[in-house]
Amino acid sequence: MSATVEKRPAHQLDSAAIRQQFPILSQQVHDRPLVFLDSAASAQKPNAVIDCMADTMRTQYANIHRGLHWMSERTTEAYEGVRDVVAAFLNAPSREEIVFTRNSTEAINLVAHSFGALLKPGQAVVISEMEHHANLVPWQMLRDRAGIELRIAPITDEGDLDLDALRDLLADGQVALVAVTHMSNVLGSVTPARQIADMAHEAGAQVLFDGSQFVVHRKTDVQALGADFYTFTGHKLYGPTGIGVLWARKALLDAMPPFMGGGDMISTVTFERSTWAHVPHKFEAGTPAIIETIALGAAIAWIEQIGMEAVAAHEAELTTYALNRLADVPGLRVVGAPHDRGGVISFVMDDVHPHDIATLLDRNGIAVRAGHHCAEPLMRRLGLTATARASFGVYTIPSEIDALAETLVRIRNFFV
Amino acid sequence: MNKGVDGSALYDRLIVERARSPLFSGRLEQPDITGEGKNPLCGDKTRVELTLDQDHISLVRHHTRGCAICQAAADLMAERITGLKPAEAQTLSRQFSAMLVAADVTSASDGGTEQPFALGPLEAFAPLQAHRARIRCAELPWVALKEALSHVDV
Repeated sequence: MSATVEKRPAHQLDSAAIRQQFPILSQQVHDRPLVFLDSAASAQKPNAVIDCMADTMRTQYANIHRGLHWMSERTTEAYEGVRDVVAAFLNAPSREEIVFTRNSTEAINLVAHSFGALLKPGQAVVISEMEHHANLVPWQMLRDRAGIELRIAPITDEGDLDLDALRDLLADGQVALVAVTHMSNVLGSVTPARQIADMAHEAGAQVLFDGSQFVVHRKTDVQALGADFYTFTGHKLYGPTGIGVLWARKALLDAMPPFMGGGDMISTVTFERSTWAHVPHKFEAGTPAIIETIALGAAIAWIEQIGMEAVAAHEAELTTYALNRLADVPGLRVVGAPHDRGGVISFVMDDVHPHDIATLLDRNGIAVRAGHHCAEPLMRRLGLTATARASFGVYTIPSEIDALAETLVRIRNFFV
Repeated sequence: MNKGVDGSALYDRLIVERARSPLFSGRLEQPDITGEGKNPLCGDKTRVELTLDQDHISLVRHHTRGCAICQAAADLMAERITGLKPAEAQTLSRQFSAMLVAADVTSASDGGTEQPFALGPLEAFAPLQAHRARIRCAELPWVALKEALSHVDV
Protein backbone atom coordinates (compact mmCIF):
# COMPACT_ATOMS: atom_id res chain seq x y z
CA MET A 1 0.00 0.00 0.00
CA SER A 2 2.89 2.35 0.58
CA ALA A 3 6.64 2.48 0.41
CA THR A 4 8.50 -0.09 2.42
CA VAL A 5 11.58 0.58 4.47
CA GLU A 6 13.89 -1.05 1.93
CA LYS A 7 12.74 1.14 -0.95
CA ARG A 8 13.49 4.35 0.85
CA PRO A 9 16.78 6.08 0.10
CA ALA A 10 19.43 5.53 2.70
CA HIS A 11 19.99 8.49 4.97
CA GLN A 12 23.19 9.33 6.70
CA LEU A 13 22.16 8.18 10.15
CA ASP A 14 22.86 4.69 11.37
CA SER A 15 19.49 4.31 13.06
CA ALA A 16 20.23 0.90 14.53
CA ALA A 17 23.43 2.12 16.16
CA ILE A 18 21.70 5.24 17.47
CA ARG A 19 18.79 3.27 18.91
CA GLN A 20 21.18 1.01 20.77
CA GLN A 21 22.43 4.04 22.66
CA PHE A 22 18.95 4.66 24.14
CA PRO A 23 18.33 1.97 26.77
CA ILE A 24 14.68 2.97 27.22
CA LEU A 25 13.86 2.01 23.63
CA SER A 26 14.18 -1.67 24.54
CA GLN A 27 11.39 -1.32 27.12
CA GLN A 28 8.00 -2.89 26.57
CA VAL A 29 4.76 -1.01 27.20
CA HIS A 30 1.59 -3.08 27.64
CA ASP A 31 3.62 -6.06 26.38
CA ARG A 32 4.48 -4.25 23.14
CA PRO A 33 7.78 -2.73 22.07
CA LEU A 34 7.81 0.96 22.95
CA VAL A 35 7.20 3.19 19.94
CA PHE A 36 8.07 6.62 21.27
CA LEU A 37 6.56 9.38 19.14
CA ASP A 38 6.45 12.08 21.81
CA SER A 39 9.94 13.55 21.56
CA ALA A 40 8.60 17.08 21.07
CA ALA A 41 7.32 16.94 24.65
CA SER A 42 10.60 15.52 25.94
CA ALA A 43 13.23 13.41 24.22
CA GLN A 44 14.69 10.16 25.52
CA LYS A 45 18.26 10.11 26.82
CA PRO A 46 21.30 8.39 25.26
CA ASN A 47 23.87 6.54 27.37
CA ALA A 48 26.27 9.46 26.86
CA VAL A 49 23.94 11.68 28.91
CA ILE A 50 22.93 9.04 31.46
CA ASP A 51 26.56 8.08 32.06
CA CYS A 52 27.68 11.69 32.24
CA MET A 53 25.22 12.44 35.04
CA ALA A 54 26.15 9.32 36.98
CA ASP A 55 29.89 9.82 36.43
CA THR A 56 29.68 13.43 37.57
CA MET A 57 28.03 12.36 40.81
CA ARG A 58 30.40 9.41 41.22
CA THR A 59 33.70 11.10 40.45
CA GLN A 60 33.62 14.85 40.07
CA TYR A 61 31.08 16.78 42.08
CA ALA A 62 31.10 19.75 44.44
CA ASN A 63 29.48 23.17 44.49
CA ILE A 64 30.90 25.58 41.95
CA HIS A 65 32.36 29.09 41.78
CA ARG A 66 32.98 29.41 45.50
CA GLY A 67 35.05 26.44 46.57
CA LEU A 68 38.80 26.68 47.09
CA HIS A 69 39.29 22.94 46.91
CA TRP A 70 40.20 20.64 44.06
CA MET A 71 36.76 19.08 43.60
CA SER A 72 35.05 22.45 43.42
CA GLU A 73 37.57 23.77 40.93
CA ARG A 74 37.24 20.74 38.65
CA THR A 75 33.42 20.87 38.81
CA THR A 76 33.49 24.61 38.07
CA GLU A 77 35.65 23.91 35.02
CA ALA A 78 33.22 21.25 33.79
CA TYR A 79 30.21 23.52 34.38
CA GLU A 80 31.78 26.58 32.78
CA GLY A 81 33.06 24.44 29.91
CA VAL A 82 29.47 23.84 28.89
CA ARG A 83 29.04 27.58 28.34
CA ASP A 84 31.65 27.28 25.57
CA VAL A 85 29.92 24.18 24.18
CA VAL A 86 26.56 25.97 24.06
CA ALA A 87 28.09 29.14 22.58
CA ALA A 88 29.61 27.06 19.77
CA PHE A 89 26.34 25.12 19.32
CA LEU A 90 24.44 28.38 18.74
CA ASN A 91 27.37 30.14 17.04
CA ALA A 92 27.11 32.83 19.71
CA PRO A 93 29.83 35.50 19.53
CA SER A 94 30.70 35.15 23.21
CA ARG A 95 30.45 32.58 26.01
CA GLU A 96 29.37 35.41 28.33
CA GLU A 97 26.13 35.66 26.41
CA ILE A 98 25.04 32.18 27.51
CA VAL A 99 22.78 32.23 30.59
CA PHE A 100 21.77 28.92 32.14
CA THR A 101 18.15 28.70 33.24
CA ARG A 102 15.87 25.90 34.37
CA ASN A 103 14.20 25.58 30.97
CA SER A 104 12.99 27.67 28.04
CA THR A 105 10.01 28.85 30.08
CA GLU A 106 12.33 30.34 32.68
CA ALA A 107 14.52 31.88 29.99
CA ILE A 108 11.51 33.69 28.49
CA ASN A 109 10.32 34.75 31.95
CA LEU A 110 13.80 36.15 32.56
CA VAL A 111 13.56 38.26 29.41
CA ALA A 112 9.97 39.32 30.22
CA HIS A 113 11.10 40.38 33.68
CA SER A 114 14.47 41.96 33.01
CA PHE A 115 14.15 43.27 29.45
CA GLY A 116 10.55 44.06 30.37
CA ALA A 117 11.83 46.31 33.15
CA LEU A 118 13.38 48.55 30.48
CA LEU A 119 10.07 49.04 28.63
CA LYS A 120 7.82 52.07 29.02
CA PRO A 121 4.01 52.07 29.11
CA GLY A 122 2.71 52.34 25.58
CA GLN A 123 5.48 50.24 24.07
CA ALA A 124 4.46 46.90 22.65
CA VAL A 125 5.56 43.27 22.46
CA VAL A 126 4.47 41.17 19.47
CA ILE A 127 3.96 37.41 19.72
CA SER A 128 2.25 35.08 17.25
CA GLU A 129 -0.96 33.09 17.29
CA MET A 130 0.98 29.83 17.44
CA GLU A 131 2.98 30.38 20.60
CA HIS A 132 3.37 27.85 23.37
CA HIS A 133 1.94 29.22 26.63
CA ALA A 134 5.58 29.68 27.70
CA ASN A 135 5.92 32.50 25.15
CA LEU A 136 2.52 33.98 25.84
CA VAL A 137 1.72 34.03 29.56
CA PRO A 138 4.97 35.84 30.64
CA TRP A 139 4.11 38.65 28.20
CA GLN A 140 0.55 38.89 29.47
CA MET A 141 1.96 39.16 32.98
CA LEU A 142 4.34 41.91 31.81
CA ARG A 143 1.47 43.71 30.06
CA ASP A 144 -0.61 43.71 33.24
CA ARG A 145 2.36 44.78 35.37
CA ALA A 146 4.01 47.38 33.15
CA GLY A 147 1.21 48.78 31.01
CA ILE A 148 2.71 47.65 27.73
CA GLU A 149 0.61 46.48 24.81
CA LEU A 150 0.63 42.84 23.70
CA ARG A 151 0.03 42.38 19.99
CA ILE A 152 -0.73 39.07 18.33
CA ALA A 153 0.58 38.36 14.84
CA PRO A 154 -1.85 36.06 13.02
CA ILE A 155 -0.99 32.87 11.17
CA THR A 156 -2.32 31.74 7.81
CA ASP A 157 -4.71 28.81 7.49
CA GLU A 158 -1.72 26.71 6.43
CA GLY A 159 -0.01 27.46 9.74
CA ASP A 160 2.64 29.94 8.63
CA LEU A 161 3.28 33.26 10.29
CA ASP A 162 1.48 36.00 8.32
CA LEU A 163 4.42 38.29 7.53
CA ASP A 164 2.27 41.03 5.95
CA ALA A 165 0.22 41.22 9.11
CA LEU A 166 3.39 41.26 11.20
CA ARG A 167 4.67 44.21 9.14
CA ASP A 168 1.45 46.09 9.86
CA LEU A 169 1.80 45.42 13.59
CA LEU A 170 5.32 46.88 13.50
CA ALA A 171 4.40 49.96 11.47
CA ASP A 172 3.80 52.47 14.29
CA GLY A 173 7.32 52.00 15.69
CA GLN A 174 6.02 51.27 19.20
CA VAL A 175 7.13 47.64 19.23
CA ALA A 176 10.11 46.96 21.48
CA LEU A 177 10.25 43.21 21.01
CA VAL A 178 9.00 40.54 18.60
CA ALA A 179 8.95 37.21 20.47
CA VAL A 180 8.00 34.25 18.29
CA THR A 181 8.60 30.55 18.02
CA HIS A 182 11.32 29.30 15.69
CA MET A 183 9.31 26.09 15.22
CA SER A 184 5.74 25.46 16.35
CA ASN A 185 5.30 22.59 18.81
CA VAL A 186 1.82 21.94 17.37
CA LEU A 187 2.07 22.53 13.63
CA GLY A 188 5.77 21.91 13.12
CA SER A 189 5.96 25.23 11.21
CA VAL A 190 9.48 26.58 10.96
CA THR A 191 9.27 30.36 10.96
CA PRO A 192 11.41 32.49 8.59
CA ALA A 193 13.55 33.80 11.41
CA ARG A 194 15.94 35.92 9.38
CA GLN A 195 13.08 37.72 7.65
CA ILE A 196 11.30 38.28 10.95
CA ALA A 197 14.50 39.61 12.52
CA ASP A 198 15.07 42.01 9.63
CA MET A 199 11.50 43.29 9.81
CA ALA A 200 11.75 43.73 13.58
CA HIS A 201 15.06 45.57 13.36
CA GLU A 202 13.81 47.89 10.62
CA ALA A 203 11.00 48.86 12.98
CA GLY A 204 13.43 49.42 15.84
CA ALA A 205 12.41 46.26 17.74
CA GLN A 206 14.50 43.47 19.20
CA VAL A 207 13.65 39.87 18.35
CA LEU A 208 13.42 36.74 20.51
CA PHE A 209 13.09 33.25 19.12
CA ASP A 210 11.77 30.38 21.21
CA GLY A 211 14.01 27.65 19.83
CA SER A 212 12.80 24.82 22.09
CA GLN A 213 11.68 22.73 19.10
CA PHE A 214 14.00 24.08 16.42
CA VAL A 215 17.41 23.42 17.98
CA VAL A 216 16.58 19.72 18.19
CA HIS A 217 16.05 19.39 14.47
CA ARG A 218 18.29 21.84 12.63
CA LYS A 219 21.57 23.72 12.90
CA THR A 220 21.05 26.98 14.80
CA ASP A 221 23.17 30.06 14.16
CA VAL A 222 21.99 33.03 16.20
CA GLN A 223 24.22 35.42 14.26
CA ALA A 224 23.00 34.28 10.84
CA LEU A 225 19.42 34.53 12.13
CA GLY A 226 19.96 38.08 13.31
CA ALA A 227 18.50 37.17 16.70
CA ASP A 228 18.73 39.32 19.81
CA PHE A 229 17.43 36.67 22.23
CA TYR A 230 17.26 32.91 21.71
CA THR A 231 15.97 30.28 24.16
CA PHE A 232 15.95 26.50 24.28
CA THR A 233 15.63 23.68 26.80
CA GLY A 234 17.92 20.73 27.46
CA HIS A 235 15.40 17.95 27.90
CA LYS A 236 14.06 18.14 24.35
CA LEU A 237 17.67 18.01 23.09
CA TYR A 238 18.33 14.53 24.55
CA GLY A 239 19.68 16.17 27.71
CA PRO A 240 18.38 16.23 31.27
CA THR A 241 15.40 18.15 32.64
CA GLY A 242 16.04 21.23 34.75
CA ILE A 243 18.49 22.95 32.41
CA GLY A 244 17.66 25.52 29.76
CA VAL A 245 19.51 28.27 27.95
CA LEU A 246 19.00 31.93 27.26
CA TRP A 247 21.32 33.47 24.71
CA ALA A 248 21.17 37.25 24.36
CA ARG A 249 23.42 39.92 22.91
CA LYS A 250 25.80 41.12 25.60
CA ALA A 251 24.73 44.76 25.32
CA LEU A 252 21.18 43.70 26.16
CA LEU A 253 22.24 41.50 29.08
CA ASP A 254 24.40 44.33 30.43
CA ALA A 255 21.51 46.77 30.29
CA MET A 256 18.99 44.42 31.91
CA PRO A 257 18.52 44.28 35.70
CA PRO A 258 18.86 40.86 37.39
CA PHE A 259 15.99 38.37 37.41
CA MET A 260 16.37 36.63 40.76
CA GLY A 261 18.53 37.69 43.68
CA GLY A 262 20.71 35.48 45.81
CA GLY A 263 24.10 33.91 46.01
CA ASP A 264 26.44 33.77 43.00
CA MET A 265 24.81 36.71 41.19
CA ILE A 266 26.36 39.48 43.31
CA SER A 267 29.57 41.41 43.34
CA THR A 268 29.34 42.85 46.88
CA VAL A 269 26.56 42.71 49.45
CA THR A 270 25.98 44.96 52.46
CA PHE A 271 22.76 45.47 54.39
CA GLU A 272 22.37 48.78 52.59
CA ARG A 273 22.82 47.60 49.03
CA SER A 274 24.25 44.99 46.70
CA THR A 275 26.03 45.20 43.40
CA TRP A 276 25.74 42.67 40.66
CA ALA A 277 28.17 40.22 39.19
CA HIS A 278 29.04 40.55 35.52
CA VAL A 279 26.98 38.75 32.91
CA PRO A 280 26.11 35.95 32.66
CA HIS A 281 26.46 35.36 36.42
CA LYS A 282 24.18 38.32 37.16
CA PHE A 283 21.35 36.12 35.92
CA GLU A 284 22.33 32.88 37.66
CA ALA A 285 21.30 33.22 41.30
CA GLY A 286 21.87 30.37 43.71
CA THR A 287 23.43 26.96 43.17
CA PRO A 288 22.54 26.08 39.59
CA ALA A 289 21.67 22.70 38.10
CA ILE A 290 25.32 21.65 38.08
CA ILE A 291 24.91 18.00 37.11
CA GLU A 292 22.24 18.77 34.52
CA THR A 293 24.33 21.53 32.96
CA ILE A 294 27.35 19.27 32.63
CA ALA A 295 25.14 16.60 31.09
CA LEU A 296 23.66 19.15 28.67
CA GLY A 297 27.21 19.57 27.45
CA ALA A 298 27.36 15.81 26.92
CA ALA A 299 24.05 15.86 25.04
CA ILE A 300 25.23 18.61 22.69
CA ALA A 301 28.57 16.86 22.11
CA TRP A 302 26.63 13.68 21.36
CA ILE A 303 24.22 15.23 18.84
CA GLU A 304 27.02 17.19 17.16
CA GLN A 305 28.95 13.98 16.70
CA ILE A 306 26.01 12.74 14.63
CA GLY A 307 25.83 16.15 12.97
CA MET A 308 22.83 18.47 12.80
CA GLU A 309 22.74 18.18 9.02
CA ALA A 310 22.32 14.42 9.22
CA VAL A 311 19.69 14.86 11.94
CA ALA A 312 17.81 17.37 9.79
CA ALA A 313 17.95 15.10 6.74
CA HIS A 314 16.78 12.07 8.74
CA GLU A 315 13.83 13.95 10.20
CA ALA A 316 12.84 15.61 6.94
CA GLU A 317 12.69 12.19 5.32
CA LEU A 318 10.71 10.72 8.22
CA THR A 319 8.27 13.62 8.16
CA THR A 320 7.61 13.23 4.45
CA TYR A 321 7.18 9.48 4.93
CA ALA A 322 4.79 10.03 7.85
CA LEU A 323 2.67 12.57 5.95
CA ASN A 324 2.32 10.04 3.13
CA ARG A 325 1.42 7.18 5.46
CA LEU A 326 -1.08 9.26 7.43
CA ALA A 327 -2.74 10.37 4.19
CA ASP A 328 -3.79 6.72 3.78
CA VAL A 329 -5.62 6.59 7.11
CA PRO A 330 -9.37 7.03 6.50
CA GLY A 331 -10.94 9.99 8.30
CA LEU A 332 -7.60 11.42 9.41
CA ARG A 333 -6.73 15.05 8.82
CA VAL A 334 -3.27 16.49 9.39
CA VAL A 335 -3.56 19.94 10.99
CA GLY A 336 -1.82 22.68 9.03
CA ALA A 337 0.32 22.57 5.92
CA PRO A 338 3.18 24.92 6.68
CA HIS A 339 5.67 25.96 4.04
CA ASP A 340 8.52 24.42 6.04
CA ARG A 341 7.69 21.68 8.57
CA GLY A 342 9.93 20.10 11.18
CA GLY A 343 9.37 16.63 12.64
CA VAL A 344 6.06 17.39 14.35
CA ILE A 345 2.66 16.34 12.98
CA SER A 346 -0.66 17.13 14.67
CA PHE A 347 -3.76 15.35 13.45
CA VAL A 348 -7.43 14.82 14.16
CA MET A 349 -9.75 12.00 13.15
CA ASP A 350 -13.44 12.15 12.30
CA ASP A 351 -15.54 10.72 15.11
CA VAL A 352 -12.58 9.83 17.34
CA HIS A 353 -11.46 12.19 20.09
CA PRO A 354 -7.68 12.78 20.38
CA HIS A 355 -7.65 11.42 23.94
CA ASP A 356 -9.24 8.19 22.81
CA ILE A 357 -6.66 8.00 20.00
CA ALA A 358 -3.82 8.50 22.48
CA THR A 359 -5.15 5.95 24.95
CA LEU A 360 -5.66 3.30 22.27
CA LEU A 361 -2.26 3.97 20.70
CA ASP A 362 -0.76 3.61 24.16
CA ARG A 363 -2.47 0.24 24.62
CA ASN A 364 -0.49 -0.74 21.53
CA GLY A 365 2.79 0.55 22.87
CA ILE A 366 2.74 3.81 20.88
CA ALA A 367 3.31 7.02 22.82
CA VAL A 368 1.90 10.23 21.33
CA ARG A 369 0.70 13.45 22.92
CA ALA A 370 -2.95 14.49 22.88
CA GLY A 371 -4.52 17.70 24.09
CA HIS A 372 -4.01 21.39 23.46
CA HIS A 373 -0.19 21.12 23.67
CA CYS A 374 0.07 24.21 25.88
CA ALA A 375 -1.21 26.29 22.97
CA GLU A 376 -4.89 26.93 23.73
CA PRO A 377 -5.21 30.15 21.67
CA LEU A 378 -3.79 28.30 18.66
CA MET A 379 -6.35 25.52 19.14
CA ARG A 380 -9.10 28.15 19.14
CA ARG A 381 -7.65 29.71 15.99
CA LEU A 382 -7.75 26.29 14.32
CA GLY A 383 -11.29 25.66 15.54
CA LEU A 384 -10.22 22.64 17.56
CA THR A 385 -10.14 21.77 21.25
CA ALA A 386 -7.38 19.21 20.98
CA THR A 387 -5.24 17.26 18.54
CA ALA A 388 -3.14 14.13 18.66
CA ARG A 389 0.52 14.78 17.89
CA ALA A 390 3.27 12.50 16.68
CA SER A 391 6.80 13.89 16.87
CA PHE A 392 10.08 12.43 15.77
CA GLY A 393 13.64 12.26 17.03
CA VAL A 394 16.99 10.89 15.91
CA TYR A 395 15.94 7.41 17.03
CA THR A 396 12.63 7.35 15.15
CA ILE A 397 12.52 4.79 12.33
CA PRO A 398 10.06 4.28 9.45
CA SER A 399 8.71 1.02 10.89
CA GLU A 400 7.48 3.01 13.89
CA ILE A 401 5.55 5.29 11.57
CA ASP A 402 4.13 2.19 9.88
CA ALA A 403 3.00 0.95 13.31
CA LEU A 404 1.37 4.32 13.98
CA ALA A 405 -0.48 4.41 10.66
CA GLU A 406 -1.62 0.79 10.89
CA THR A 407 -2.85 1.17 14.46
CA LEU A 408 -4.70 4.38 13.57
CA VAL A 409 -6.60 2.50 10.87
CA ARG A 410 -7.63 -0.11 13.44
CA ILE A 411 -8.63 2.59 15.95
CA ARG A 412 -10.81 4.20 13.33
CA ASN A 413 -12.46 0.86 12.59
CA PHE A 414 -12.99 0.29 16.30
CA PHE A 415 -15.01 3.47 16.72
CA VAL A 416 -16.78 3.87 13.40
CA MET B 1 0.23 -7.65 14.32
CA ASN B 2 -3.27 -8.68 15.24
CA LYS B 3 -6.19 -7.30 13.30
CA GLY B 4 -7.98 -5.69 16.23
CA VAL B 5 -6.90 -2.83 18.36
CA ASP B 6 -5.96 -3.64 21.92
CA GLY B 7 -8.42 -1.44 23.71
CA SER B 8 -11.35 -3.72 24.32
CA ALA B 9 -10.48 -3.97 28.01
CA LEU B 10 -10.96 -0.24 28.46
CA TYR B 11 -13.47 0.55 25.76
CA ASP B 12 -16.35 -1.75 26.55
CA ARG B 13 -18.73 -2.19 23.61
CA LEU B 14 -21.38 -0.33 25.61
CA ILE B 15 -19.08 2.67 25.97
CA VAL B 16 -18.30 2.76 22.27
CA GLU B 17 -21.99 2.43 21.35
CA ARG B 18 -23.18 5.13 23.71
CA ALA B 19 -20.41 7.47 22.61
CA ARG B 20 -21.41 6.96 19.00
CA SER B 21 -25.19 6.95 19.50
CA PRO B 22 -26.15 8.54 22.80
CA LEU B 23 -29.73 8.05 24.00
CA PHE B 24 -29.91 10.99 26.38
CA SER B 25 -28.08 13.78 24.61
CA GLY B 26 -29.81 17.06 23.89
CA ARG B 27 -31.55 19.85 25.74
CA LEU B 28 -34.67 20.08 27.88
CA GLU B 29 -37.12 22.87 27.12
CA GLN B 30 -37.66 23.75 30.76
CA PRO B 31 -35.11 22.13 33.02
CA ASP B 32 -35.54 22.61 36.75
CA ILE B 33 -31.81 22.45 37.46
CA THR B 34 -28.66 22.44 35.37
CA GLY B 35 -24.96 21.93 35.99
CA GLU B 36 -21.76 22.14 33.98
CA GLY B 37 -18.45 20.33 34.09
CA LYS B 38 -15.28 21.42 32.32
CA ASN B 39 -11.88 19.78 32.11
CA PRO B 40 -9.32 22.52 31.44
CA LEU B 41 -6.67 19.92 30.63
CA CYS B 42 -8.41 18.60 27.54
CA GLY B 43 -11.20 21.09 26.84
CA ASP B 44 -13.96 18.53 27.42
CA LYS B 45 -17.28 20.06 28.46
CA THR B 46 -20.61 18.68 29.55
CA ARG B 47 -23.88 20.31 30.53
CA VAL B 48 -26.49 18.29 32.41
CA GLU B 49 -30.14 19.33 32.56
CA LEU B 50 -32.73 17.74 34.83
CA THR B 51 -36.41 18.02 35.65
CA LEU B 52 -37.70 17.02 39.04
CA ASP B 53 -41.13 15.46 39.52
CA GLN B 54 -41.99 15.91 43.18
CA ASP B 55 -38.84 14.56 44.76
CA HIS B 56 -37.62 12.34 41.93
CA ILE B 57 -35.39 13.04 38.96
CA SER B 58 -37.80 12.60 36.09
CA LEU B 59 -35.90 13.67 32.97
CA VAL B 60 -32.18 14.00 32.25
CA ARG B 61 -30.42 15.29 29.15
CA HIS B 62 -26.76 16.06 28.59
CA HIS B 63 -24.88 18.12 26.05
CA THR B 64 -21.33 16.75 25.94
CA ARG B 65 -18.29 17.68 23.92
CA GLY B 66 -15.57 15.23 24.73
CA CYS B 67 -13.94 11.86 24.33
CA ALA B 68 -15.74 8.55 24.11
CA ILE B 69 -15.32 7.89 27.84
CA CYS B 70 -16.85 11.25 28.73
CA GLN B 71 -19.71 10.96 26.22
CA ALA B 72 -20.65 7.48 27.35
CA ALA B 73 -20.30 8.35 31.03
CA ALA B 74 -22.74 11.24 30.57
CA ASP B 75 -25.22 9.08 28.72
CA LEU B 76 -25.10 6.13 31.08
CA MET B 77 -25.30 8.48 34.07
CA ALA B 78 -28.42 10.09 32.62
CA GLU B 79 -30.00 6.69 32.17
CA ARG B 80 -29.05 5.41 35.61
CA ILE B 81 -30.16 8.42 37.67
CA THR B 82 -33.55 8.83 36.00
CA GLY B 83 -36.16 7.98 38.62
CA LEU B 84 -33.84 8.36 41.60
CA LYS B 85 -34.21 10.91 44.38
CA PRO B 86 -31.46 13.57 44.39
CA ALA B 87 -29.95 12.10 47.57
CA GLU B 88 -29.88 8.67 45.95
CA ALA B 89 -28.14 10.08 42.88
CA GLN B 90 -25.50 11.57 45.14
CA THR B 91 -24.94 8.26 46.86
CA LEU B 92 -24.60 6.62 43.48
CA SER B 93 -22.10 9.30 42.45
CA ARG B 94 -19.91 8.46 45.46
CA GLN B 95 -20.13 4.76 44.68
CA PHE B 96 -19.17 5.40 41.06
CA SER B 97 -16.13 7.45 42.10
CA ALA B 98 -15.13 4.78 44.60
CA MET B 99 -15.34 2.12 41.91
CA LEU B 100 -13.05 4.15 39.62
CA VAL B 101 -10.31 4.23 42.23
CA ALA B 102 -11.09 0.64 43.26
CA ALA B 103 -12.00 1.76 46.78
CA ASP B 104 -14.32 -0.14 49.06
CA VAL B 105 -17.77 1.07 48.05
CA THR B 106 -19.27 0.92 51.54
CA SER B 107 -16.48 3.09 52.91
CA ALA B 108 -17.47 5.79 50.45
CA SER B 109 -20.92 6.10 51.97
CA ASP B 110 -21.81 8.14 55.02
CA GLY B 111 -21.19 5.93 58.01
CA GLY B 112 -22.77 2.91 56.41
CA THR B 113 -26.29 4.30 56.75
CA GLU B 114 -26.79 4.62 53.00
CA GLN B 115 -28.20 1.79 50.99
CA PRO B 116 -25.73 0.91 48.26
CA PHE B 117 -27.16 1.01 44.74
CA ALA B 118 -26.40 -1.35 41.95
CA LEU B 119 -24.02 0.40 39.55
CA GLY B 120 -25.33 -1.79 36.74
CA PRO B 121 -24.09 -0.69 33.31
CA LEU B 122 -21.87 1.91 34.99
CA GLU B 123 -19.56 -0.97 35.84
CA ALA B 124 -18.40 -0.75 32.22
CA PHE B 125 -16.06 1.99 33.46
CA ALA B 126 -14.29 -0.23 36.00
CA PRO B 127 -11.25 -0.82 33.73
CA LEU B 128 -10.44 2.89 34.17
CA GLN B 129 -8.90 1.81 37.47
CA ALA B 130 -5.81 1.01 35.40
CA HIS B 131 -5.96 4.33 33.49
CA ARG B 132 -5.83 6.97 36.17
CA ALA B 133 -5.28 9.79 33.68
CA ARG B 134 -8.70 9.02 32.16
CA ILE B 135 -10.74 8.77 35.38
CA ARG B 136 -11.61 12.45 35.25
CA CYS B 137 -13.16 11.89 31.80
CA ALA B 138 -15.73 9.54 33.35
CA GLU B 139 -16.26 11.77 36.38
CA LEU B 140 -16.91 14.98 34.45
CA PRO B 141 -20.69 14.40 33.99
CA TRP B 142 -20.97 13.58 37.68
CA VAL B 143 -19.25 16.88 38.50
CA ALA B 144 -21.93 18.58 36.41
CA LEU B 145 -24.63 16.58 38.21
CA LYS B 146 -23.23 17.60 41.58
CA GLU B 147 -23.43 21.24 40.58
CA ALA B 148 -27.02 20.77 39.39
CA LEU B 149 -28.06 19.03 42.59
CA SER B 150 -26.45 21.75 44.69
CA HIS B 151 -29.49 23.84 43.73
CA VAL B 152 -31.96 21.53 45.50
CA ASP B 153 -32.35 20.70 49.16
CA VAL B 154 -31.50 17.07 49.60
